[in-house]
Amino acid sequence: MASINKRGFLCRRLCGWLVCITGLVLPVSGLPCISGAVYADEKHQPSDEGPPKSGSESAVSFVNDVVPVLTKFGCNTGVCHAKAGNGQNGFQLSLLGFEPQEDYEHLVKEGRGRRLFPASPENSLLLMKASGSIPHGGGKRLAPGDEGYQVLISWIQQGLRYDGDTAPALKSIDVRPARSSVPMNTEFQLSAIALYSDGTERDVTRLALYESNDKAMAEASGTGLVKILDVPGKVAVMVRYQGRVAVCNISVPLGAPVDVVPPSRNFIDDLVFANLKEIGVPPSPVCDDATFLRRVSLDIAGRLPTEEEAIAFFSSTDVDKRDQVIDTLLRSPEYADYFANKWTALLKNRRDDVSDTTSNFAFHAWVRDSMLSNKPYDQLVRELLAATGTVIGNPAVAWYKRVKEPKQQLEDVAQLFLGVRMQCAQCHHHPFERWSQDDYYSLAAFFSQVGRKPSATRGEDLIFHKRGVAGMANMKTGVVLKPAALGDAIPTIAPDEDPRLRLADWMSSPNNPFFAKSLVNRYWKHFFQRGLIEPEDDIRDTNPPTNPELLAALEKHFISSGFDLKELVRVITRSNSYQLSSAPNQYNIADQQNYSRYYPRRLQAEVLLDSIDYLTGFQTDFGNLPVGTRAIALPDNSYNNSTPFLKVFGRPESESVCECERVQSSSLAQSLHLVNAADIKSRLAKPGGRADQLAKADQPMEKRVAEVYMAAFSREPRADELKVALDYLAEIGVDGEGKPLDPQRASQENFQDLVWALINSKEFLFNH
Amino acid sequence: MTNSTRTFRQQICVIASVCAMTLLTAPASFGQSVGLPAPRLLTTMPMGGTVGTETEITISGEHIEDADELYFSIPQITATRKLDASGKPEPNKYIVKIAADCPVGLCEARVMTRLGISSSRVFSVGTLSEVIQKNPNTALATAMELPVNSICNSVMTAKSIDYYSFEGKKGHRYVVDCACRGIDSKLEAVLIVADAEGRDLQVERRGGVVDFTAPADGKYVIKVHELTFKGGPAWYYRLALQELATDAVVTRLPSTSSVSSFSWPPQDAPAVALASETEPNGKSAEAQKITLPCDISGSFFPAADVDTFEFTAKKGEVWWIEVASERLGRPTDPAVLVQHVSGTGADEKLTDVAELSDIPSPVKTSSNGYAYDGPPYNAGSSDVMGKVEIQEDGTHRIQLTDLFGGTRSDDRNIYRLIVRKAAPDFAVVGWGLHMELRNGDRNALSKPLALRGGATMALEVVTVRRDGFDGEIELSMDGLPEGVTAQGLTIPAGKSRGIMLVTADQNAPRAIANVSFSGRAVINGQEVIHPCRMAAMAWPIPDAWHEIPSPRLVTDVPVSVSGSEFAPVTIVPAEKKVWEVTAGEKLTIPLTHIRRSEFSAATLQLKTFGEGFEQVPMFDVSLDTDASQAVLDLAALKTAPGDYRIAFYGGAVAKYRHRPDAVTAAEESHKKAEQAAADLAAELQKLTEQANAAAEEKKAESSMALEELTARHKAAVAAVAAAAEQVKAATEQAKPRDIVDIVVSEPITIRVNPAEAK
Repeated sequence: MASINKRGFLCRRLCGWLVCITGLVLPVSGLPCISGAVYADEKHQPSDEGPPKSGSESAVSFVNDVVPVLTKFGCNTGVCHAKAGNGQNGFQLSLLGFEPQEDYEHLVKEGRGRRLFPASPENSLLLMKASGSIPHGGGKRLAPGDEGYQVLISWIQQGLRYDGDTAPALKSIDVRPARSSVPMNTEFQLSAIALYSDGTERDVTRLALYESNDKAMAEASGTGLVKILDVPGKVAVMVRYQGRVAVCNISVPLGAPVDVVPPSRNFIDDLVFANLKEIGVPPSPVCDDATFLRRVSLDIAGRLPTEEEAIAFFSSTDVDKRDQVIDTLLRSPEYADYFANKWTALLKNRRDDVSDTTSNFAFHAWVRDSMLSNKPYDQLVRELLAATGTVIGNPAVAWYKRVKEPKQQLEDVAQLFLGVRMQCAQCHHHPFERWSQDDYYSLAAFFSQVGRKPSATRGEDLIFHKRGVAGMANMKTGVVLKPAALGDAIPTIAPDEDPRLRLADWMSSPNNPFFAKSLVNRYWKHFFQRGLIEPEDDIRDTNPPTNPELLAALEKHFISSGFDLKELVRVITRSNSYQLSSAPNQYNIADQQNYSRYYPRRLQAEVLLDSIDYLTGFQTDFGNLPVGTRAIALPDNSYNNSTPFLKVFGRPESESVCECERVQSSSLAQSLHLVNAADIKSRLAKPGGRADQLAKADQPMEKRVAEVYMAAFSREPRADELKVALDYLAEIGVDGEGKPLDPQRASQENFQDLVWALINSKEFLFNH
Repeated sequence: MTNSTRTFRQQICVIASVCAMTLLTAPASFGQSVGLPAPRLLTTMPMGGTVGTETEITISGEHIEDADELYFSIPQITATRKLDASGKPEPNKYIVKIAADCPVGLCEARVMTRLGISSSRVFSVGTLSEVIQKNPNTALATAMELPVNSICNSVMTAKSIDYYSFEGKKGHRYVVDCACRGIDSKLEAVLIVADAEGRDLQVERRGGVVDFTAPADGKYVIKVHELTFKGGPAWYYRLALQELATDAVVTRLPSTSSVSSFSWPPQDAPAVALASETEPNGKSAEAQKITLPCDISGSFFPAADVDTFEFTAKKGEVWWIEVASERLGRPTDPAVLVQHVSGTGADEKLTDVAELSDIPSPVKTSSNGYAYDGPPYNAGSSDVMGKVEIQEDGTHRIQLTDLFGGTRSDDRNIYRLIVRKAAPDFAVVGWGLHMELRNGDRNALSKPLALRGGATMALEVVTVRRDGFDGEIELSMDGLPEGVTAQGLTIPAGKSRGIMLVTADQNAPRAIANVSFSGRAVINGQEVIHPCRMAAMAWPIPDAWHEIPSPRLVTDVPVSVSGSEFAPVTIVPAEKKVWEVTAGEKLTIPLTHIRRSEFSAATLQLKTFGEGFEQVPMFDVSLDTDASQAVLDLAALKTAPGDYRIAFYGGAVAKYRHRPDAVTAAEESHKKAEQAAADLAAELQKLTEQANAAAEEKKAESSMALEELTARHKAAVAAVAAAAEQVKAATEQAKPRDIVDIVVSEPITIRVNPAEAK
């Protein structure tokens, strides 16, 4: 995959459409026609009042009128004139108008005063550029007849008045309606109301900015017109105006009858099925045993069930045999391997140099052993955050080798363990969150007393708590801030106390609004392919969960279990919601977020390689690791180079804390690899491999075919499949000269072909 | 579908081409190597034995092919060569006898060779029955059965996991321990106890034990592997399996000591602390009341433990605080904060009096880069040693924490806190001096005191000073072998580093002696002598870029002389005398070069050892001549009147020939073999003729004799070929190779007399 520029990447994901400081440009909506709109509430039609007025009717407010126009038309975005993006051609504005006073200085006093021309306002450089009268790199943004243009020209005519000290302050915005149930394939209009410190309200619908959190479900125009598409579920539209945000939560029902749902096995089923009933999406039935066994083995242990396991499971008559399988898998070392693989990639266990080998192995092993012993999640995170000592003595220290700077540390911790993306707030107020630069640097302050001593290994330090008062200077104000945790004040931390321990205390508090929520959402996504909040590490008020009651219940269960990861896996996989069939019924094929069926997913690179190895009877040789080491047990990313299969199928390089670094999408390279790559061929043709053994087996052909189907799909072949296979196996191929092959060789090739065909089937490639 | 599948598979072209992977391997380095060949004992198998038994061990190493005696550092262990059926010693095999009164623990094992005594390898003595790994046990199916209460001597195979099995009983407690790094192995062990199917149950990767209680009767598996799956002869280990009572305290297998531990304990400190900490003592209000002086033991337990002690003191009092924990072998970083307490309750005010942390290394240690820029022996410690000057009368608190202990809950992380009035003292430790150069070859760090005739070997000696002692420390070595002298270059007052020079006469005979190496100082008018501990590297390291040196303390100081190999060059003053000079004048010292080798360069650049003379500008001496001179400008050096001892040193690249005598010997053997073969050929010719001419009744007898002689001739011809191979090998080995090593002159004594008053 393409390498990821971390900050740019995150910013792109964070800021959505926002033109961000890294210069990544995403489309800014124009002002589409609203004809044909259906208003959910007649009162909330867009105002025709024009731009808001402050003070007297005639006086244009710089703060409340001018700056919003600059924001609405994208002047102060990163790629245009925002200072954070270096401001095109020397014209710098504060990003998204967060600093009106600075903007006033830039507009009125800089550029030798030529940006504004009170004597002839329409000849002001600002307006001539914006209207395209003279060449403008950003193109034409405003026409003379536009309301925004008029606001600007009025303000210039009125003498360039700055009213930052006297204008009513924007306190919040309301979106109306804030919650609604809207049929599919309809449109409705949102209204945005600004509430000011003097108690006044203004309709800022035309100046606000709108964004849907699921564009497959709803699209929002620049004027607040929301178009609901044909996917049922929950969607939210975020409304932003001058640093304030509001959210409209929209329920989009399908309205189909939901007469029967599978029996509830726990609170998950209660809440999933309740939601399905609410929106009228009937669930698929519970899957069969074969599907369940294969699914749960892949999801918990990252491997296919063995033929022996499958046969034992099918022959069991225990009513709780599915629960038994779950518990067996959770006890297995493969569970530890599989989840360690997941976590170590996110924790950047990356090998850049041979001197990283020991620390990477140690760190991976620490995570793996923690999984095996089911170390409580809060304890695991605590050991990581507050790690001290040497890599060998305390492998969690290796994280500080990879993530060296306090800013990097806070950003990774926030995103990974809290689901909060703080990157934007390093340089400016988060555009659609409540996080300020003070919040950012207060969080960084927890890491300000991390001391380092050189070790005998180059690039590796001993980590210790450096005595002193923790604090971090706000880059902008220079004020040194004491540790504070995302708005929560932390009692004074003594110089002798490691502030990271206090951060860990705060995280593991039962009342922490992020910590447990972030984890259960992440794990939910692991098993259901889609988080209750998407992306799973972007938890914010403006990105609400699709089933908030379920998320809250999972969070509560996780906390009350003592942050027990295995219990979380257990409660999820025991639910009938997890065990639903992936086959859609007539109603739920479009469902992508309500869990009315299991959403199939292509096997991860490592799991797929292991599965192919298992099916073909092959053992991949991973360089310096023992023969038989499975891909899910690899300690770091370095094996991606030596095993191209892993790279082709998207194994991450451990560069990012984002799960999205793992590429789960399909590609031509993947198809070609499976079809014709030498490593697949060598697996198929391995002497003593499965195809070879089957060809030589002294068993009826039916049994041999059954064996390979059981290995690949954990089920017997259907009658039609068996017939096709038997017919094919009975054929005698020919050699290059057209002569029939000898029976032994023909049989070997036929079985290789059969295995090859199964590998290339969707049933094999997907967890379903 | 299948037909199309077949067609598709057979016909599809290779679109997804497989790129040939080019392995970027580092080119083999053919540059000069560092350090003349030194004998190194690298492995013994087994690595230990049981008290009161006799065991056969096999050794391996570098330049020990002609080893004879095997020595141990304690007298209760003796060794003899193992003899074959014909009474000849078997190469590399010894019978080791461990006396019944032998103390349990570790000792040093070394062999005496042509080049002198080898470097040491740790040998363990225990009470468990010893077994040796049976090969192969790298699969579950071939797991080696390990009797409970035994210890297995094993070698790890690269890319492998070693499997052992044992029968466990439900509810019984089994402790699995593994000695590896602590006995000089390169193995970073991972211990796993698994069920009979090999599924992991308990894992230990940080050098601890697996303390396992069997959940049911049955077979259990112990898996051992290297953390990064390395292996080979250097990755050996001793795996102990013991059954212990539920409440029994686990005693770890013995381990060598870190270099830093040389400075512990202080003189006169009792073996056991006089008091112990009393929890809870973490908060100010819970501070444990103590009176000074004190000697307290405690532990950094649980995680983020803070131990607070409260005492009263008066303004002007001076106390010295010492904490040992890292030097006790624990992975800790103690820190001490002393605060004055005024007020009470909410009005309590704390004022920092002293903040103490690490004991700094007395000299700059090597960085972790490629070039060698200092010794990789850290004589400092993360422990605490420092002074507290009381500023105000009243209550004070000591807060003791472990800077590495924020999240670790390990009650084995013990400490010892001593607060005392000043007891000035010192401790000294030394190691073979390595040369500063830009080269990753660290083989020479593993340097036994094996002297070639005419060589002077420099030991770097550093001191950790205690409680304000800053006087000079004399270094001395007693009990040296015949023909060996040792002269210490004093550690000057207030300084931390000195040099000990050990010189073998050219004609010194082959010998070995365990010497007494000590530092001597006058403290408060009393002469104080402390042994100087020696540190060494567990392994020679040819490439420091890829391997980190592992230093440790050794328990004895054997000095040996080769008797058969000589230094490439010896630099000595032209006269053995005290060189007198008047302060402020120049002193010219004629030097004699005794050259025994060719060198790759024509000159040798020399620097100067000795307090006050380190600033002597580097000067060149010719390696093509037998004499040179050193000129010391005392005016520039501003050398005060007094007696001094100096030496000159530098790095020379010798054209070293390894055992040229072996070529002569091999050639001689070859000649003899050829002669023998020729004699037999002639005899065979004669016998053949006789056989042809023999009467019929004698034919059978002649034929038998002929057959026997033919076989002997054939063997003789084979012996000729083997001898020729030996000549070839010896000749190859004896080809000159560039090897850089330190050349140190014999020490020179200088007396600087006062200038006459004008």
